[in-house]
Amino acid sequence: MNKFLSEKYALPDKNAAKSDKLTNGLRNLLKSPLAQTIVFVIIMAVIGQLAVEKVLPYSWASAFATTFSYAIAAVGFCLLMGYSGLASLGTGGFIGIGTYSVYYVMAESGLPFLLAVLVAIIIAIVIGAIVGFISLRIEGIYLVILTLGLSEILRNLYMVLEDKISFTKNPVILGFTITRQFSLYIVLIFLAIVMIVTSNIINSPTGRAMLAMKNSTAAAQAMGISLMKYRLLAFIICTVYASLSGTMLMLVVRNAMASQGTGFYALITSLNILAAVIIGGYKSIWGAVFGSFVMYGLQTVVLNNIKFLAENPVIITFVSGILVIIVVMFYPGGLAQLVLELRAKAKGLRTKMREAKYGKDLG
Amino acid sequence: MAYFLNTIFGSIVPMCITALVTMAITIIFKTSFTTNFAQGVISAFGAYVVASGLNSLGLSLWISLPLGMLASMIIAVAVDVLIFRNGRYVNALGKQIITMGLISLVVGAIPLIFGLSDPAFKSFITGDIKITLSDGSYATVTKNSLVCLGLAASVIVVIFVLLRFSKWGLSVRATASNEYVAGMMGINTHVVTAVSWGLAGALGALAATINASSGTVIGGYFMTNYQVYAFLAGILGGFSTFHGPVIAALMIPLANNLVQYIVNVAGKPELTGWSMVIVYAVALVIIFFRPQGIFGKKIARKV
Amino acid sequence: MARILDKLIPSTAQRAIKLRQSHDWIKTELAELSGVYEEKKQKALDKFVVKANRRLSSAAYAACDKTELANNVMEKRLQEYDVHKYLSYRAANHKAAKAIFKAIKAGEDWSGALDAMRSEIDKIKSDRLAFVNKLEARKNASIAKGGSSDPTAYNALRTQLEAEYDSLSRSIDEKHAQIIEKKRKALKQKLDEVSLRIQENRAKGGNAICLSDDVLLSVKGLKMYFGGLKAVDDLTFDVKKGEIFGLIGPNGAGKTTVFNCITRFYDATGGDMYFENKYGEIVDLRNYKVHDIILQGISRTFQNIELVKEVSVMENLLVAGTRAYRSGLLVHALGLPLLKKEEKIMRQKAMRILRFMGLESYASWLAFGLPYGILKKVEIARALMADARLIIMDEPAAGLNDSETAELTETIRKIRDEFGVTILLVEHDMSLVMNVCDTVCAISFGQMLAIGTTEEIQKNKAVQEAYLGVKEDE
Repeated sequence: MNKFLSEKYALPDKNAAKSDKLTNGLRNLLKSPLAQTIVFVIIMAVIGQLAVEKVLPYSWASAFATTFSYAIAAVGFCLLMGYSGLASLGTGGFIGIGTYSVYYVMAESGLPFLLAVLVAIIIAIVIGAIVGFISLRIEGIYLVILTLGLSEILRNLYMVLEDKISFTKNPVILGFTITRQFSLYIVLIFLAIVMIVTSNIINSPTGRAMLAMKNSTAAAQAMGISLMKYRLLAFIICTVYASLSGTMLMLVVRNAMASQGTGFYALITSLNILAAVIIGGYKSIWGAVFGSFVMYGLQTVVLNNIKFLAENPVIITFVSGILVIIVVMFYPGGLAQLVLELRAKAKGLRTKMREAKYGKDLG
Repeated sequence: MAYFLNTIFGSIVPMCITALVTMAITIIFKTSFTTNFAQGVISAFGAYVVASGLNSLGLSLWISLPLGMLASMIIAVAVDVLIFRNGRYVNALGKQIITMGLISLVVGAIPLIFGLSDPAFKSFITGDIKITLSDGSYATVTKNSLVCLGLAASVIVVIFVLLRFSKWGLSVRATASNEYVAGMMGINTHVVTAVSWGLAGALGALAATINASSGTVIGGYFMTNYQVYAFLAGILGGFSTFHGPVIAALMIPLANNLVQYIVNVAGKPELTGWSMVIVYAVALVIIFFRPQGIFGKKIARKV
Repeated sequence: MARILDKLIPSTAQRAIKLRQSHDWIKTELAELSGVYEEKKQKALDKFVVKANRRLSSAAYAACDKTELANNVMEKRLQEYDVHKYLSYRAANHKAAKAIFKAIKAGEDWSGALDAMRSEIDKIKSDRLAFVNKLEARKNASIAKGGSSDPTAYNALRTQLEAEYDSLSRSIDEKHAQIIEKKRKALKQKLDEVSLRIQENRAKGGNAICLSDDVLLSVKGLKMYFGGLKAVDDLTFDVKKGEIFGLIGPNGAGKTTVFNCITRFYDATGGDMYFENKYGEIVDLRNYKVHDIILQGISRTFQNIELVKEVSVMENLLVAGTRAYRSGLLVHALGLPLLKKEEKIMRQKAMRILRFMGLESYASWLAFGLPYGILKKVEIARALMADARLIIMDEPAAGLNDSETAELTETIRKIRDEFGVTILLVEHDMSLVMNVCDTVCAISFGQMLAIGTTEEIQKNKAVQEAYLGVKEDE
């Protein structure tokens, strides 16, 4: 047993071990999703505040708020598609659950905002459960189109209920008045909760069961995984997140119109959320957040700063379409895969530079 | 009675459009195994080409319609040949996302090419036909809608005949049943898919032209509604056949108008807005109990 | 509606399921108790060693032979220097080679470049010599300063530390033994309580079905028709406890269909399937859903590997333990400590099974890209994870080479002996079946041909005609 230091190698090496321990501890801490999310939220909040103070462009604040509202729905979609292997085009309709809950509960009845959120969640659970039940009978592309139909039903329902909704009075949450500038922080808090809960689920037995279900329903059932339970769960989570995203959008944008072809509830929103998840990498929560930034924030934050694009705003739609196509054609794992590949490329480049300088290592 | 006839006549144009778009989507679904979400915008592009033929070149609608169909056809074939075949790794889901990307691409390209203003359009033929009924009231049908009906019906019939009896139809059906085996049997599946995409593009442009000729204002998204109908019709009729989706496509707009008619006759005109909700709900219930579609065959799976 | 009500108001059946779940969990906890504490002990000891080494280092310095130490130090420094300067060598060579090639191409004289390289290398060499001299001087100085080497203190401290280590190990053992004993007692008590309650529940429910004592699974008159096709027609056989039962037959004989009926993937057209479950009750399998079969104690492997490719081997095993977790969605979503405790125990169990299968080195590997033979083993390990009483293997030897098949034969026997399970297997590989099975049942076109020991089956005329006879003709 050579567990103790031998006298022959008595070179004390205390400091190295100590510092190693410290950096390792820090690195491990930063690897936990909780810490990462908190750091991210703080950075975004600072950027938002700077935008409100007009140190950064003022439009950034609302752009980020919208982006992160949609990101909540995208994270749910990531769980649905990447982990449960199900797909839906109902996101647009589900977002409406949130906006109308806010409108009827808060703007019309004057009840608190958080109650509206609660109502939105409860309705979303019911609708998610219905879709989940449907998914037990109908699968694949048929399910996708069916959810699209469901979303259209909801949209038509909204049009009949109240086509244009808006509210002007600022809501009050726990004593804070939420102005439109302030809404970014509320959105960030909800996004952080959603991200942490989702990453917990993904790394838990529930997440594993979902993955097993995605890979092979037969094997999953043989392992005691009930398809009904986990499909229902996946759709409920996705719908609840979409509905939460709707409440946040209402808080940020303050008005919505159902009959608008490019509105919140239209097919285009569902497609955009899907595209966001694909662009980001459909198994990565961070990818989903970044993907929603590409779909909803990139225009304001980056592309508008390019003079040529700012003068021709239609080109931006064109370019974003090309971007989506290129990502899918060449990076099916999304930007998450691109990051990995870039890292590998950088390593290769470093080796090449060394070789150019010192010659090839021939052994 | 007159009101009922008017309802039926009013459904002609939506039925034609939905049937054409559904045909296009079904053909693509069967040969490329993907749902083409860009069908609406590719169709809209064709309508823009037709409109610029009318307005800038001063051509008649009958001459610029083939131009528009050709333009849509070129875009659709380009999607298949340039994008789908060159992806490093494109699966069914990837193809769908690509068609979603195409939506932004085409919608972005339209104002770049055709300018920002909504182009004017005109009908194939103007004028109405009045049918006087025995009780003295009369129903009207526009001549334009009859022309549209003739166009759409003849095109759909030709396609069905081709599918059933031509060599191309046989290759399409073979590819639809199994692309891999069809390839082994000496069918050039690349050509089959490219031709199918081209046909779908042309059908889309025709549908968009019919839609615009009956008074709808052209826009990038103006065919999206019909595209949604078409998807629903596809699974309602069952994608496993060609005729099922088309029949379902004829039923959806008709059912919508009939529900409105019934609601109005029953004396509750305030419920007209619910017609689409009711039609969708009924369709979804049918699909829930017959997941393979009304006309579809159930395919047994081996565990 | 009744089902929804069932969910809301826990019925007797529901309570029974909960009881069984806790019964199983307590059993798992009992089995993994020592493993968990072993890990804890190892961690504590590792910590002690790190600390002890820190304490020991100065004594070790005092104890060592200073000349030797100085030599060691010099060697190490020189090594570091060489590694560092190796790149300079390479750069010089590379530069010269490039220059020479260029000169040759241009038709110029290249001896200049060679000379430059030589001089550069000479410089590097002389630098190294200077460094060696410096080290030598330093070494000599430190030897001269010397100081005696006195190993007594070191040896004393070392023995002391070793004794401390041993005593710590012992004390931890004692402490843990106490805790384990206490916990084991508590768990056993709980287990008894739960078992008693299960018994009570059962007494209330009554048990009409009877099987003879040594029968585990009894299939009676099983029929499975697909439309007009009779895939399985009136099949009857019994599987005895602790045996390895083989089901053979030519292609399309309906072997996999029988499996799928037993595991409820197919709803049998007719017939009965009785099974003595984990808790000693006799149940009619037709009353259970496909995902509840595993709770009764039947787990299976698949003909084509059906593992989750995108997670590690360890996590694949944990998937099979999904039903063992008692924590619900809320605990999972919030990441509460209860889940961590459960995960620890389940990982311990998975590791134990992987070790048994000789797969522990693959635990953290992704299932994607592992060799076929390994994946087959992982599938068997996954089936073991469910504490099953009956393991159903669908063609375990398909795609394996001869040596792997021989290993598999051993593995199957070992599993039966170690885990006390009964094994039911479908196989095409006759050598495996004849080597490993106690009883073989031969079927053809869904009907029983013969059942008996391997010798009997080999001699049976009908089987030879239907199955082996065809082989001889070829």
